[in-house]
Amino acid sequence: MKTIKTYIFLFTAFFLLGSCDKDFVEINTNPYAINEVEPGLLFANSQRLAHIGGWAGEHTIVQHFVNAYNSGATLGFNFNADIDGISNPQWDASYPDALKNLGQAVVLLGEDGAQSNLLSMIRIWKAQIFMGLVDHYGDVPYFNAGKAVTDGIFYPEYDDDAAIYDDLYTEITAALAALNPSGDFVSADLFYGTNGSVPSGDAATQVAKWKKLGNSLLLRLGMRYSKVNASLAESIVSEAVAGGVMTANADNAYLTYDGSLYSNGGNASLRNFSYFNYAAEPLVDQLKSTNDPRGKFIVASYDEPAAITDGVPDTVLANQFGVPVGVLSGTIAADIAMATYRGPKGGGLNYSQMNIYSVASPVAPRVFVTYAQTSLLLAEAAAMGWISGSAQDFYEDGIAADMQWYSQYPNSEVTASEIATYLSQPGVAFDAANALELINTQYWVVNISNGSEAFANFRRSGFPTLSRNDFDDSLLANGGDGFVRRMSYPDRESSANETNYSAAAAAMGGDVLTSRVFWDKP
Amino acid sequence: MNAKLRKLILHVSKFVAYVTIFCYSLTMAFGTETSAQQKLLGEISVDLSYQKTSLIDVIKELESKTDFSFVYSKKELAEKNVLVPEGEWKMDVLMYSISSQANVAIRRVNQQISIKPLKPDAKAPSVEEDIRVRVGVSGKVVDENGESIAGVTIVVKGTSTGTISDASGAYSLEVPEENSVLIFSFIGHVTQEISVGGRSVIDVTMVVDVFSLEEVVVTALGVEKESKKLGYAVTSVNTKDLVDNRTTNVMESLEGRVAGLNITPPAAGAGSSMQVRLRGQAAFAGANNAPLFVINGLPIDQGARGTNGRGENRDLGDNLQNINPDDIESMTVLKGATAAAIYGSRAANGAIIITTKSGRKNQGIGVEYSASYSAMEALNFMDELFQTEYGAGDGGLRPQDKGSAASQGHYGWGEKLDGAPTINFDGVSRPYSAYEDRLFDFLRTGSNWTNTIALSGGGDKGSFRASYSDVDAKGITPNNEYKKRIFNVGLNHDITSKLKMQLNVNYANEENINSPQIGTQGPGAVNFFTRMAISNPLESYKQSAVDPVSGSEYRESGFFGTIVNPYYLLEKGMYFNDDRNRLLGTTTLRYQITDWLYAQGRYNYDQSNNFAEWNEVAGIGDADLLNNDGTYGGGYNIRNTMTRDINSDFLIGGNKEFGVFSVDASVGGNTYRTQWQRTEQNARNFTVPELYTLPNGTLRDQGITPYNYSVSRVNSLYGWTEFGYNGMLYVNFTGRNDWFSVLNPENNSKFYPSVSGSFIFSEVLQSQPWLSYGKLRASWAQVGSANGVNPYDGRLTYSILANQFNGQTLAGVSGQAAPNAALQPFTVTEKELGIEMRLFEGKVLVDLGVFEKITTDQILNVQISEASGFAESKQNKASLKNTGFESLLQGSPIEAGNFKWTSSWNNTVLSTEVLDLGGPESLLLIYFNGTGNEFLGELRYTVGMPMNQLYTRSYLRNDNGDVVLNSANGRLLATNSSTPGAENTNGFLPVGSSMPKLTGGWANTFSYKNLTLGVHIDYKFGGTVLSSTWLNTTRQGHSILSLEGREGGLVYPGVINTGTQENPVYVDNNITVPVSDLRAFYSDYRNLQIGDPFTFKTDFVKLRNISLSYNFTSALSKVGGLDFIKGLTMTAAVRNLAILYKDMPGLDPEAIQSSGDFRAGYENSSLPTTRNYTFSLNVKF
Repeated sequence: MKTIKTYIFLFTAFFLLGSCDKDFVEINTNPYAINEVEPGLLFANSQRLAHIGGWAGEHTIVQHFVNAYNSGATLGFNFNADIDGISNPQWDASYPDALKNLGQAVVLLGEDGAQSNLLSMIRIWKAQIFMGLVDHYGDVPYFNAGKAVTDGIFYPEYDDDAAIYDDLYTEITAALAALNPSGDFVSADLFYGTNGSVPSGDAATQVAKWKKLGNSLLLRLGMRYSKVNASLAESIVSEAVAGGVMTANADNAYLTYDGSLYSNGGNASLRNFSYFNYAAEPLVDQLKSTNDPRGKFIVASYDEPAAITDGVPDTVLANQFGVPVGVLSGTIAADIAMATYRGPKGGGLNYSQMNIYSVASPVAPRVFVTYAQTSLLLAEAAAMGWISGSAQDFYEDGIAADMQWYSQYPNSEVTASEIATYLSQPGVAFDAANALELINTQYWVVNISNGSEAFANFRRSGFPTLSRNDFDDSLLANGGDGFVRRMSYPDRESSANETNYSAAAAAMGGDVLTSRVFWDKP
Repeated sequence: MNAKLRKLILHVSKFVAYVTIFCYSLTMAFGTETSAQQKLLGEISVDLSYQKTSLIDVIKELESKTDFSFVYSKKELAEKNVLVPEGEWKMDVLMYSISSQANVAIRRVNQQISIKPLKPDAKAPSVEEDIRVRVGVSGKVVDENGESIAGVTIVVKGTSTGTISDASGAYSLEVPEENSVLIFSFIGHVTQEISVGGRSVIDVTMVVDVFSLEEVVVTALGVEKESKKLGYAVTSVNTKDLVDNRTTNVMESLEGRVAGLNITPPAAGAGSSMQVRLRGQAAFAGANNAPLFVINGLPIDQGARGTNGRGENRDLGDNLQNINPDDIESMTVLKGATAAAIYGSRAANGAIIITTKSGRKNQGIGVEYSASYSAMEALNFMDELFQTEYGAGDGGLRPQDKGSAASQGHYGWGEKLDGAPTINFDGVSRPYSAYEDRLFDFLRTGSNWTNTIALSGGGDKGSFRASYSDVDAKGITPNNEYKKRIFNVGLNHDITSKLKMQLNVNYANEENINSPQIGTQGPGAVNFFTRMAISNPLESYKQSAVDPVSGSEYRESGFFGTIVNPYYLLEKGMYFNDDRNRLLGTTTLRYQITDWLYAQGRYNYDQSNNFAEWNEVAGIGDADLLNNDGTYGGGYNIRNTMTRDINSDFLIGGNKEFGVFSVDASVGGNTYRTQWQRTEQNARNFTVPELYTLPNGTLRDQGITPYNYSVSRVNSLYGWTEFGYNGMLYVNFTGRNDWFSVLNPENNSKFYPSVSGSFIFSEVLQSQPWLSYGKLRASWAQVGSANGVNPYDGRLTYSILANQFNGQTLAGVSGQAAPNAALQPFTVTEKELGIEMRLFEGKVLVDLGVFEKITTDQILNVQISEASGFAESKQNKASLKNTGFESLLQGSPIEAGNFKWTSSWNNTVLSTEVLDLGGPESLLLIYFNGTGNEFLGELRYTVGMPMNQLYTRSYLRNDNGDVVLNSANGRLLATNSSTPGAENTNGFLPVGSSMPKLTGGWANTFSYKNLTLGVHIDYKFGGTVLSSTWLNTTRQGHSILSLEGREGGLVYPGVINTGTQENPVYVDNNITVPVSDLRAFYSDYRNLQIGDPFTFKTDFVKLRNISLSYNFTSALSKVGGLDFIKGLTMTAAVRNLAILYKDMPGLDPEAIQSSGDFRAGYENSSLPTTRNYTFSLNVKF
């Protein structure tokens, strides 16, 4: 080998080694790639990418929605089955999408503090996303997440869910404190920026909105502690209220869609293979029993369940029937009393489906944090005596705000008189003795457009009162109460991050649907 | 044959010829024109000039004064004296006188007089006279292409009489008798012995001896070397095989012909790509595992555009399609890393060196025309797979109405076929019978018309050849066509006696029209017809492709668009056209500085432009033709890709001999620049229905990445030195350093060394008459491959979303892969040892070799936790090993008169092993077939196991090995994560590697005069395949496997557990699965991923080719007026004549989907293989 090396040396010396990699750095930079970007654009994209639940996932768990068919690919929560693809959207939308962009935006912002408002918004939004992750899975990678490029951490550890919540509190409060009305205006902000859902044109207006959003999130975070640490809940809720939460629908954090370039993806998919997709009986019964004026915008009966885009649906509330939870299309007739079985219809079942021309429209907005949610949370806090103010007022304001919000859905409008009538309905009218059930049942209806929040709040509050899905007893195993208490980690993690996954699964009491996140106490 | 090789042979042979002539002229009366009637000794007088006493002096004078030549030993006659006075002598008298005086025997044969001493007691005189009849023989010597060869030595066997052929190949000589035998010999060609048999004209075709002792092979960088100097395995391809057994893709005809070269043609339509693997699979899936192709010094990647289970499911061919077999002068397979080391990072998988023709000097002008026509018929083995007893329906009942006929259209769980009219999906009743050949009725006979015309010529300064070839092929799917036009020019010119120039240009235009879509789901015809109930005739799908009400696809099954009626697509005019233009150009300048030193510079240019255009039709699976916004559905796409490779290199080389030592050394350098760019545009939401243009789309965007671009560069310096000793021992060192632009500037330089040696042991064993030649070879080499390190891999980039969101621009971090700036090329280290022997006067050739190839620092796209922000990251991890044994045995078992049988048998035994996956992982999942649109098993790399390991679940069994069934319903259970060995794989168990362990071929040539018969058998053993066709036809009730239980239900043979899980009690299964649940029962194979009945070996033995060719050249030369035809050969050949043995019923084990490695071992509804009948004609003027 020595001969060869000498040899090579001689003639490389002759031809000058130095010239052999001249210009290589320049050559290896793609002139057509985007090598630099404005961090605000990454932040805005992460707003779009954040997850709020899906029909087959969170909405099925809370019995808004049913897929009564088991064709293998459609197996899921309606059959108490732990299906990877249904548990993953929260994870997939967060880490490799929204959080990746937010993380890189922070890297680009650097430490010069020039865009401190953008940084604060990123921190709040990141906290919102991580809250969703903890609420769905419990322990998740947090402190070392998103550091593949910056720190070469490919296999991050999972952190304790309570510890993450502690840090989320710190992050939100610190970011709120850093928001500066005379600081930078973040034009790209999809909520309150130049082209936002609620547009603004200056930093002061935008920062005011973000303060409300941040404090409303803080309120949500505080309320999660209601069972596990009431005093902490009380203190965080009070801090949020003091900081100023949302006070009107104009404060809502949401995204709108034009239906062609971008559409509400979860809703758009309801149109495909529509005979799979039905409204669940508990939801329809709630809407019918309270004469809910939102009902006609939520559910509908179609001439042909297999082709719901044809014809005009029947939205008369009295004609709506939800599919019982936990039945299988093939055996439905045997599973429920024959007298109540409504039989097949066309290519599907003779039951109501989601109203794809309103709430379930591809142009329906996606809502992350709303005044209606906030007001209902305040109602509960007031009922608990943690904050001042009338629980009833907060409750009724919340319902009214949600009904007024329906004008944001296509072809939908709830009138003031309908709202007034509704508020006095039995099962709706405020009753201090039954306040928590009323408030949280409304929270369940309000969150027909935010499955993640419906799922979390149902577990926290235990309302509405739902019966367990008795398709089988699998959710009674491992000390389960028959309900899905969390989603399982992606199967991919068990091979791609094996050691840390196993530790986390053990810490959670098993990577199963019946394990509970830290704030979910029986 | 290579032009340079040819030239070299010419030079050498001329030299040999001159030497021969010179020698003859010294020893014998060569060329004496005494063809007239010969005279007896007594009729000849000679006038001796003076009296002599020395016999030798007398002989000398006789030699000068007569036409006789004398044969004697000076030593023997030195002491002999005779007294021969001056004056006129009769020769007979003189001879008798000498015989008695000197006591010698004198024998005259024609013009030769031999004189030998007699024993002292022998009785003198002894004079014999033998005048034989002389026969004049003349003829012409040509090569296999009909071109004349100068310098061929022709000797009369048993004599020293002979001649050599002249510049036009002509020769003439006289032979002593009618039964004389002529020996024709020429360097690099097989020596032939031909009996004169009374003929006066004998034309001879010299056949190249690929394995001749003095074989010269083209090695790396186009350098020609004597084979004995090589310390590694090299095989020269017989280019005649490529032409005789012509295939659309030139590499396909090499299948089974070269040891170590494994070629698998995917059954993917006319113009599809080939899977080409030399000595196993050097790297994991995703890398380019094909060898490097070097065409006239221009290195090109195979560039297979096959389907890979990841993306398009159409095979769009490869770069080998740009080569016309008629243009190939020589092809050399450099198998090992050593052979290819000098190519550095691109040749980790070996290299195949191709030289195209460029004419020959002093040939005049010649025209050559060849034409061939092939017809291709699909091979049908489906009777081994399909059941033909039960028809459409479910639960043992046939459909009763149109709706259920549609929703059950893909189920074969109906009633026993009885021919009674039964409703079909379109509402029409047709006989309930088996229509098992629908696929084959849908397919058509494919064809391939190839025409090539070439013009060549040469003067004393240079030569040229220009050819044009046209291929017009029709695939077996109805609208699949493949057209190709290749224009090739080769030019040699001696600018001065020392400066030579060579130019080669190849321009190819290809059109791939509607390459079939293949794969389990999607619009593939094979998939459709294997999965529809057998009781629906082809006409039903043809007549009712379009629903007359909706205008959409008539709903014919429960699949709703995942499987599509091919007639619908035909009727709606779905198309996919791919048009490629490629220019390959090479210019070489070579200057001979001194007789031992030269310098060469070369410039290679390779540019391809590819325009693809395709549409998507609306209404598939009964979907609406209209979109929600009132526009029409469907889509239209165009894609333009440009690739440009520029290589420039220089080489300075010299060789010198110092006594018994020789040195051959070269240094060179190369710069390789490659640029790739692609633009895409598509249109959707059309204003006018079914008008596929960009302006008609109301929604137009530019694909995910509107403009793709990459450029990279590799600079290299290299050199080698070869030391030789006494023509029997050679050692060769090579070294190459590559600098990569794609690597981190801190560490972008890589050095690749190799050393090899050869020992001609026959030189020291010359006493062994059976051993004509023997060589031992050994080598060690390291090469790397930057394949997998792509430009810009180390940099984070961003993407801007194509559309603004409510007026707001959005950006994202691009890609799922975390950039890794520390990425390095992987390394292949190869050792090989071989022995080559020619036995029994070179009639038998034995070539054996072993190799071990270890690949380290594999570039793996490692799956990382998505919580890190990215899903994968390329890392240098993992290593694998390929070891193998290669053998070649060649010889002529029978040579009798004009009949000759030559036979060549090659074998490769390959074993692979994954050594390390670079971390705690011992398993790496490459492809999971079980989810998404695929159905069975997994492909994994597993430490300690062979590459490409297939996994499936299996029947759950108890300790006795009995199949355990579900005690509740008698249905199947599968292995799970508590099954031993399957703990980490969720019940999946390894069932075998997709890679064959033994591959080989046996090629035979039988020739009788001008008739040649070629018979080629090849085989592969030891690979495993998972069959999706078997799985899907079984779970849908179409396969013969699904027949069990049709009458009265199924009691599956096995046991059930009547005890507890902890304390099981197994009793024989007595639970009947009712007919109504058979579908569910068989569907469990898919749901549970039980692969046992669907796992087969890919073993086969095929009668691959039979070709019969007749050379009319000599026949024509006798016909007056046709002598302007210099050569005429006709060939008839059949490819894929028969499968003599296979393990997988119903399907050809070679009918793989992909030329890539991601779907290794997965049978997936590819097209049937075809049997090709080819007739070809070659004429030279």
